[in-house]
Amino acid sequence: MFTINYRDPRPVYEQIMDEIRKLIISGVYAPDERLPSVRELAGQLAINPNTIQRAYRELEQSGYIYSVAGRGNFVGARQEVDVQRKAELLKTFAETARELRWLGVSEAELASYLREGETEK
Amino acid sequence: MIEVKNVTKRFDGFTALDSLSMRVPAGAVYGLVGPNGSGKSTIIRHIMGIYRPDEGEILVDGQPVWENPAVKGRMGYIPDDVFYFLSASVRDMMKYYRGIYPGFDMERYEKLKGVFTEVRENKTIRTMSKGMQKQAAFWLQICLRPDVLVLDEPVDGLDPVMRRQVWGLLMADAAERGITVLVSSHNLRELEDVCDHVGILDHGRLLLERSLSELQENIVKIQIALPEGAALPEGLNLLHESTTGRLKTLILRGEAEEIEARLSACAPLFLDMLPLSLEEIFIYELGGNDYAVKDILL
Repeated sequence: MFTINYRDPRPVYEQIMDEIRKLIISGVYAPDERLPSVRELAGQLAINPNTIQRAYRELEQSGYIYSVAGRGNFVGARQEVDVQRKAELLKTFAETARELRWLGVSEAELASYLREGETEK
Repeated sequence: MIEVKNVTKRFDGFTALDSLSMRVPAGAVYGLVGPNGSGKSTIIRHIMGIYRPDEGEILVDGQPVWENPAVKGRMGYIPDDVFYFLSASVRDMMKYYRGIYPGFDMERYEKLKGVFTEVRENKTIRTMSKGMQKQAAFWLQICLRPDVLVLDEPVDGLDPVMRRQVWGLLMADAAERGITVLVSSHNLRELEDVCDHVGILDHGRLLLERSLSELQENIVKIQIALPEGAALPEGLNLLHESTTGRLKTLILRGEAEEIEARLSACAPLFLDMLPLSLEEIFIYELGGNDYAVKDILL
C-alpha cells in the first residue's frame, strides 16, 4: 500500500504515520474502515511490529484512528482530530504564506488560493 | 529471553569476550553491531551452546543452553557460514530437522516453496551459490517455528528483493508469535527498520545496550540562528556544536519538546529540528569516548 523511503531521515514510525494520515485525509480509507493489521504491515514493509504499533498508537492519540481490542485499528471520525496537529499545520501554513509574501504574492492572490482549496472539496 | 552474564572467553591467551553481559528481552528484535573482531560471532556461538564460556553463564528463558536439547530444540540459528551435510539437499535437511525439532512445521515448508522459488529442493545444498545457500538456510529455519532465532550476518549474500522478503517473513512472525530475534549485522540502516533493541560490541565488551525508541527520543539535532548578541540558554546538555555563518547546528541530549520550548524563548531568527539517523546517534553518543565506533559505521 505504501513504501518506506530508506533515504528519508525521519524515523520510520513517523513515515508510517504520515502515510496513513495521507490515506485517511485523501479518503482512501473511509471513517470506521479497518486499517491493515500490525502483522500485515510488518510483513509487507519488513518493519519491526513495535514500530508499526507505535505509529498506530500515536495516530490514535491524535484522533485519526481508534482501536478495538482484539479487532484492530479503524479510521476515526473527522471532528476528533486533535488541536496539536492543527497548530502544526497552521505553523507550516504561516511559514509558507510568509515566504510567498516575500516573493511578492499579494494578499488577495493568497486569499483566492484559500477559496480554491475550499471549493475543491 | 536471552541473558548473558559476565561471560569471558579466551582463545590461546587472547581474550575474545571480556566479562560480557547482555540481555535480549523476550519478543525483542535485537541488533548486535560491532567492528570486525569485536566478538559478535563468538558470543553468538556461546548463546547457541556451541562454545562453552570460561567464566559466566548464558541463560535462554532462564535455563542454561550448554548441552540442553530441550532449550536448543526451540532455537533457530543461521551461522555466518552455513553448514550442511556433504550431499544433502534441502529436502534431506528438512527430513533431518523434522526428526530433531519438535516445532517443525511441514505445512509451512510447503508454503515457503512459493517464496524461495529459485532454491531447487532436491539439489545438493553444497553445490549451490552462497546466496542460494543462505536462502535454503532461511527456508529451513523459518519452518522450525523457533521461539528464539539467532542470525549471524544473515542477509550477507542475499539480493535486495530476497532481503526484504526474508525480513518480511520474520517481522510477520515477530508480530504474530512474539519470536525473539538476535541478529548481528554491519548494516545500521537495515537494523533501524527491523530492530527494537540495539547492542554495540567492541573488544569483547558491550559499549551500549538500549531500546531503539529510547535512543531516538533522547537526542535531537537543531539548526538555529540567534539574533545579534543573544546567547544560548544555560544548562543545555550539548553533545556537539558547529557554526556556519550565523547558523549553529547543535546536537542536544534531552526531550525534543522541552528543548524546542527553551530555545524558542531566546527569540531565534530561525529554528529547525532535524531527525537523526541511527548512524548519527551512534556517532554522537559514543564518538567522543571511543573512536572504534567509526569502524562500525563504515
